[in-house]
Amino acid sequence: MFKNFKSSRNIATIASIFATTAVLRAQATETATQNPNLFYTDNTFLILLFLCLLFLIIAYFLYRVKSHLDNIIYEKTTGQSKPTYYQKSLRPWLQTLNPTITALTIATILGLITFVKAYQFGMNEVGVQQGYSPVQPINYSHKIHAGKLQIDCKYCHSTAEYSKQASIPSANTCMNCHKFVNLRDRYNGNVSPEIDKIYKAIGWDPENNEYIKDYKQKPIEWVRIHNLPDLSYFNHSQHVKVGKVECQTCHGPIQEMDKVYQFSTLQMDWCINCHRQKSVDVENNKYYEDLHKRLKKEGKTVYTVEQNGGTECSKCHY
Amino acid sequence: MENKNKYWKGIEEAELHSDFIKSKGNEFSEALPVEEMLSTIDSDLSSNRRDFLKFFGFSVSAVALAACNKAPVKFAIPYVEKPQNVTPGNPNYYASTCASCTSGCGMIVKTREGRPIKLDGSNESAISAGALCAVGQAGILTMYDINRLANPLENGDEQTDWAKIDKKISSKLASIAATFGGIRIVTPTNNSPSFANAVNIFKQKYPTTEVITYDSISYSGILLANEKSFGKRVIPNYNFDKADVIVSFGADFLGTWISPVEYTKKWTKNRNPKNGTMSRHYQFESILTLTGSNADIRIPMKESKEGIYIISLYNEIAKLAGVAQLAVTQNAELAGNAIKNSAKDLFAAKGKSIVVSKSNNPEIQTIVNGINMMLGNYGTTIDIDNFSNQSKFVEADFEKFVSELSSGTVKGVIFVNSNPVYSYHNSSKLTEGLKNAELVISTSITKDETGSLAGFVCPDNHFLESWGDAEPKNGLISFTQPTISPVFNTRQVIESLLTWAGAMPENAKAYNFVKSTWSSLGDDVWNKSIHDGVLIKPDLPATVPSFVANLADSANKIIFSLPKGDETELILYQKVGLRDGSMANNPWVHELPDPISKVCYDNYLSISKADAEKNGFEQNDVVNLSVNGILINEIPVLVQPGQAKGTYAIALGYGRTQTGKVGKNLGKNAYPLVRTENGYYSYNFCGLITFEKTRKKYSLAQTQTHHTIEGRDYIREASLNQYKKNPSVKNDEKLNLISLWEGFDYTKGHKWGMAIDLNKCTGCGSCVVSCHIENNVPVVGRDEVLLRREMHWMRIDRYYSFNDDGTALTKEKQIDKADASVYENVSVVNAPMMCQHCDHAPCETVCPVLATTHASEGINQMTYNRCIGTKYCANNCPYKVRRFNWFKFNDNDKFDFHFNNELGKMVINPDVTVRHRGVMEKCSLCVQRIQAGKLTAKRENRKLVDGEIQTACSAACPSNAIVFGDKNDPNSEISKLFKDERSYHMLEEVGIRPAMMYMTKIRNTDTTI
Repeated sequence: MFKNFKSSRNIATIASIFATTAVLRAQATETATQNPNLFYTDNTFLILLFLCLLFLIIAYFLYRVKSHLDNIIYEKTTGQSKPTYYQKSLRPWLQTLNPTITALTIATILGLITFVKAYQFGMNEVGVQQGYSPVQPINYSHKIHAGKLQIDCKYCHSTAEYSKQASIPSANTCMNCHKFVNLRDRYNGNVSPEIDKIYKAIGWDPENNEYIKDYKQKPIEWVRIHNLPDLSYFNHSQHVKVGKVECQTCHGPIQEMDKVYQFSTLQMDWCINCHRQKSVDVENNKYYEDLHKRLKKEGKTVYTVEQNGGTECSKCHY
Repeated sequence: MENKNKYWKGIEEAELHSDFIKSKGNEFSEALPVEEMLSTIDSDLSSNRRDFLKFFGFSVSAVALAACNKAPVKFAIPYVEKPQNVTPGNPNYYASTCASCTSGCGMIVKTREGRPIKLDGSNESAISAGALCAVGQAGILTMYDINRLANPLENGDEQTDWAKIDKKISSKLASIAATFGGIRIVTPTNNSPSFANAVNIFKQKYPTTEVITYDSISYSGILLANEKSFGKRVIPNYNFDKADVIVSFGADFLGTWISPVEYTKKWTKNRNPKNGTMSRHYQFESILTLTGSNADIRIPMKESKEGIYIISLYNEIAKLAGVAQLAVTQNAELAGNAIKNSAKDLFAAKGKSIVVSKSNNPEIQTIVNGINMMLGNYGTTIDIDNFSNQSKFVEADFEKFVSELSSGTVKGVIFVNSNPVYSYHNSSKLTEGLKNAELVISTSITKDETGSLAGFVCPDNHFLESWGDAEPKNGLISFTQPTISPVFNTRQVIESLLTWAGAMPENAKAYNFVKSTWSSLGDDVWNKSIHDGVLIKPDLPATVPSFVANLADSANKIIFSLPKGDETELILYQKVGLRDGSMANNPWVHELPDPISKVCYDNYLSISKADAEKNGFEQNDVVNLSVNGILINEIPVLVQPGQAKGTYAIALGYGRTQTGKVGKNLGKNAYPLVRTENGYYSYNFCGLITFEKTRKKYSLAQTQTHHTIEGRDYIREASLNQYKKNPSVKNDEKLNLISLWEGFDYTKGHKWGMAIDLNKCTGCGSCVVSCHIENNVPVVGRDEVLLRREMHWMRIDRYYSFNDDGTALTKEKQIDKADASVYENVSVVNAPMMCQHCDHAPCETVCPVLATTHASEGINQMTYNRCIGTKYCANNCPYKVRRFNWFKFNDNDKFDFHFNNELGKMVINPDVTVRHRGVMEKCSLCVQRIQAGKLTAKRENRKLVDGEIQTACSAACPSNAIVFGDKNDPNSEISKLFKDERSYHMLEEVGIRPAMMYMTKIRNTDTTI
């Protein structure tokens, strides 16, 4: 249907979600699906498992040899074959059981175990992407920028204090520094290939240090790591500006991450737990003036987000 | 308390038809087809246990498999260069001008990430004064209409590009001008100074050009009468706010007449009984209009007799004033001395009264001018100096154009957003005439009837993509600015005209051109004007013009043309939702139930109960209609209370043959029935009307008895006298309600509430559409409405009551059927109804999964992701305001409106969840707006200001009937309103403690209600 639109540039302007200029998308999808999680690249576990199996098999064979030899000795001494454990004690006990009740009991127990497991799986695994760390179109390191260089988070994620989204910085924000920083000294006089990706997106000519005229800009398509479902509303400014929550509370030690991963579970109980523990700073916000007076009169010092209605459904679900 | 008045929503309720009784207690219009479904799956098995196990096994394994899927990779794509003013996640607001009709309301466009998502009225504009009507708000969806033209067209269907088409058009225009062939630009009332400038430049290049104004609906009677009376061909400024007595003859000024939002704003200003003064509004009319339904005294009248009533009124007033009366042979008086009473009231309020008429007859309008002159209303309630430019159409010009076209003197026609091939009554003559033209251009944004006959279609931008200006009132300039770059390959008309006139490409850019029109302002004033959306010059002092018309002459002409007998007559009118039909492809206006008939999606032959019985018609019968030889086949019948006996009515604007998927072939086109009478268009016909009843039935999607809460005391009304004696009339009884529940502690923060003034609510439906847009409510279509499955979160309950002392509808008469004639004279009360956010909500206690719970701010919360769709809540709601998603309305091609295509989805409000199939939904009190408002205050380290947070409905309301606010704030408007003597909780006796309050309707009549 997009052929009806005036040009692909318009589409990008209308809504970035409809952008079809997939420059880096294919590449990113490929790498993201090939290698979605770095946690499971280690082979140690497999080797251990293999060894365990091997020893078990050897133990089994040794046991068989021993029991065979025992039987031969028994037959030689008594002249009869040795009754098995099953014949000797298990069968008489089994015969006392009601087959229907037994079968039902076993089925119930199995059913319950399956249900509990499935429930746990459903609640804690499905859709939970904790640790998700996809390959990004640019090998950007927060460790260098936020950790080593101590750039404030809100320099790049500038809207975190006044908008719903913290926003991934647009390429022109990167250019504030990377007009000058291109690491030629480390790449034999060439521009760093990662920084060059910004130049390719925005149309900067690093040789002449100028923007290329009439360049067809291509957005950098970052892979989204924190995917909150559509049914819940989250606003960064509420937490960063009003609640004064540190970025690291939810995003983890971002200043140590070479490659960003999802630190928190983003599950509802994780949200709710924080809302139960964290108290509202009623003293320093004039919005809470009346409430503050009242709490002071009542002699209360702690007023949690939950007490302020922060665990009510429609605070996030609407 | 015994409520004297018996209220009913439809005739079926008043007379207790068996269908109504059967369905009123049911939760759904029909039983759920469970058995049918099971029997089709399982027709040859005696038991379906095996199937159950099969399905069960399949679903378990399918779920397990589905769980193994990797979550989809999502992308977050930032701007390459972030525009300075656009912050993802935060809305931007721009002032602009609504162009859904010619009223020129100022509006504020809300955009998110560069997409307009909501239109609201602008406070700066004197016309809209902070409100917008239903049609104006729905206009946003027309931009996201997938049926819009994506490219200019040549020869009907060939898509072409602008460069090619410009070349061809320019050379054709040049050859026409060279041979002195006429070129005509046909435009709807256009009061844009820039457009006028562009036409002048075009004229310089092609001197044979003339501009013809053509509107689908004519108000020329007023224009010509004012020319005759005062030498000014204008529509005056009507100040209904300054009038203590209003007499309207059929003019639906609250619904469709000239500038309804402006008039509603003004009319409501003087409808507050608290001040002790409240205007008295008489309405003489034949069909029940929105205005009539809000009048204090409504008198059914045949429209063909209007002239004689107005002359009688003149004479009555003249008698009181001691001025010479008009010499007429017959005088009219209606039942109850209505003319005499209104004359008395008008005369008593000299200089503070107003008389208006719908009539398009200049002679009748001249008499109306004479009455207003005699009453000294000019300079006070009627201002002819600060006149209106909202309608400039005079038929003679257009008729001349059509005959010139037929004779072949006009060779080139440019239809600028006008569609006369559809709406001109003699469409075939125009169609034939167009064949003589060498060049026909249409600029409509969708391919309409006129566009399909045009050789070239050069689609205009939607007004949300355009630069422009308008002067709807003399001295009030309203600017239009684009809020999105053009979605399709379209071009603004002024750019097209300038390009064809050979202007330099840079000068032809709409922005540059509009700015150059206002170059005298200077950059600062220009920027401020664009920011505000308006440029207001100080009002001229209103003067009393000198009256020069010959009233006696006019009166004679009226008497001469009066129908002799008592024939039946047909009235053509506009519906509040669809108006003239230009927005026929907009599903929102179709889904809005008509404020009076509550019918969605169709037009119909509206008749009175008496006439229905006389002709043996019932509701939903299909008839073939022949009016003066013109046939309208298979039109369904609607029996309408309040309609005058002997009148029939059909709404205009339907029956479009060339428009998009929604409006195509919906209803019947009534424009061919418009008649030319002495040069003006007449919207009533008195004469040869014949009917032929067919055997067919057609169910009209009428919502009037859906979600009925019958039999309870919900409406309270009183007369002004009663109110003056006792302000808490009808609210005296204080209930001592004991609660079993532990209440919430609402004192900590906010306690939201809403006050709805039944006295102000006109029922216009603006709030319904506003809510529809704000909350991503799906459009369900006619078939689902018939099944009572409309999804509107708010509805306006329209209740009728008989205008007598309760004798019309006794228990016996209900069974025996009341006399049909009593249905002619009914009063109407409109009650907006949405979730009442009860403190002891009955829905909350029955939800098995806690999907609907209570919040400490008094909101009844609905959590969609928890809901499993038991519908217990809907069943337990006494107000019937919960809606169930029977389908996944988005992405479902069975609901082919706007939710199933990517362009239509751009109108979705990103702050509100799009609901899935199988969940319940209802009014959330616009919790997204509350949360956003609170957050802004917190961020800015300040207290919340009263009125800062507005719900979608309260923001849209043109009559300020809905007030939203914090009850805990003692200074808020709502706290004051909640203490008002008129305020009451609807169904208070049930003990559910709703958060909303309604305010008693007060009628300015002498009778006791």
